[in-house]
Amino acid sequence: MCMSILIADDDPVIRRLFEKRLLDKGYDVQVAIDGVEAAGKLASSHFDVVITDLVMPGDVGGIELLQIAKDRDPLTEVIVITAHSSIDTAVDAMKKGAVDYLEKPINFDELFLRLEKIAQLKSLVRNADDLRNAMDITESSAAQTIQNLEITAADLQLKLDNIDKILKTNSLPDDVKVKQVRNILDT
Amino acid sequence: MIKITPEELKIITGYIHDISGIHLDASKKYLLETRLSVIAEEHGCTSYRELYNKAKRDPRKVIEKQIIDAISTNETLFFRDNGPFELLRHKILPELIDARTPKSPRLKTPIRIWSAAASTGQEVYSIAIVLKELLGDTSKYNIKLLGTDISDAAIRQASIGKYNKFEIERGLPRDKLNKYFTLSGGFWKIKDEIRIMANFRKLNLMLPFAGLGKFDIVFCRNVAIYFTLEDRKKLFNKIADILEPDGYLIIGSTESLTGVCPRFTPKRHLRSIYYQLK
Repeated sequence: MCMSILIADDDPVIRRLFEKRLLDKGYDVQVAIDGVEAAGKLASSHFDVVITDLVMPGDVGGIELLQIAKDRDPLTEVIVITAHSSIDTAVDAMKKGAVDYLEKPINFDELFLRLEKIAQLKSLVRNADDLRNAMDITESSAAQTIQNLEITAADLQLKLDNIDKILKTNSLPDDVKVKQVRNILDT
Repeated sequence: MIKITPEELKIITGYIHDISGIHLDASKKYLLETRLSVIAEEHGCTSYRELYNKAKRDPRKVIEKQIIDAISTNETLFFRDNGPFELLRHKILPELIDARTPKSPRLKTPIRIWSAAASTGQEVYSIAIVLKELLGDTSKYNIKLLGTDISDAAIRQASIGKYNKFEIERGLPRDKLNKYFTLSGGFWKIKDEIRIMANFRKLNLMLPFAGLGKFDIVFCRNVAIYFTLEDRKKLFNKIADILEPDGYLIIGSTESLTGVCPRFTPKRHLRSIYYQLK
């Protein structure tokens, strides 16, 4: 599965580096120069993963971008990038729904491993959803079939009970019984 | 994970049938292993025979309860399959209220509903929400809404009425979620006005329904499928005994009573079926 990834970082060197390494790995990558631009991109297109610096200039920082991404689609996973000194903020971001954090300088092997894990998880969730949908369809179609059988069986049972009653009525001559049974079968 | 031998499979499935009525055949080997090996390990057992012996000897029935909790946990959703709730709202409740409203305006209309396999409470609260929305001021009615389940853990969660986002998100429309639940600490909790309408207690459907009283409506959905035909016959016969003569029975959408209980007759309303005594 080819995941779409949005990078938000105000450092042009880091942006270039992310873009190149992720494109080389075959990911579909877009970059944003800050949180505001990233928020704009999130509004117009869907991303599987957002990788964002925690500290960016402007009104939209990493935490705000995390919330925007999660509001837009709870299934979008967000990885925050943090300097070693601000681990607490990264932990805070994870409490707010970030899936992971990366420390600077970025270890790309580590990042690729985490992205693979996210891809696996997403494909499992999708499989589960597909199976649920298939199950719902099967169930509702089976339900209709069973309902019809249930009603048909009950109608037939009622007819049999009535026929039984007629046949057991000793006071009726046989030709009347035949006629009455015939009536029941014809309805 | 501890593997189960064919011999142990026989012993364990027989034991589960005895304590819960749930009938598992050899094809459920993997399910048993995944759900019971944790319990076996917790009690220091290296085989299922050992676990069985320990469970049988345990006077407090701790292991028995754990096994029931592990085996009986099944998927349950709010408004699972909308059909029965539409049926309740548009057909059964209006009809029932018509039949039950006392002549004297000072007397309350009784409505007695039983959810026989309540699991973690989703069905009971879905029924309570329908009652609230249809009746408005529920104090004018004498409502008895009972949920029972064989699992202690399920009954405990049902009583608390607290659900995580996975338990809540499927089936429950957003407007109902916001109206009848409050979010706290990542969990959705049913509001008190709905919670107080329901009662929960543990009940093994294989045992006599002593002291349960009579009911106007019984929900018994997707539980009899785990029983043998013999046990199913006994179950629906007992339900027929505690149902009012003009009461209503609702079973799972893919279940059938043909050849199970001749005392009931199916009736169709729109795309759903309910059962009444003949």
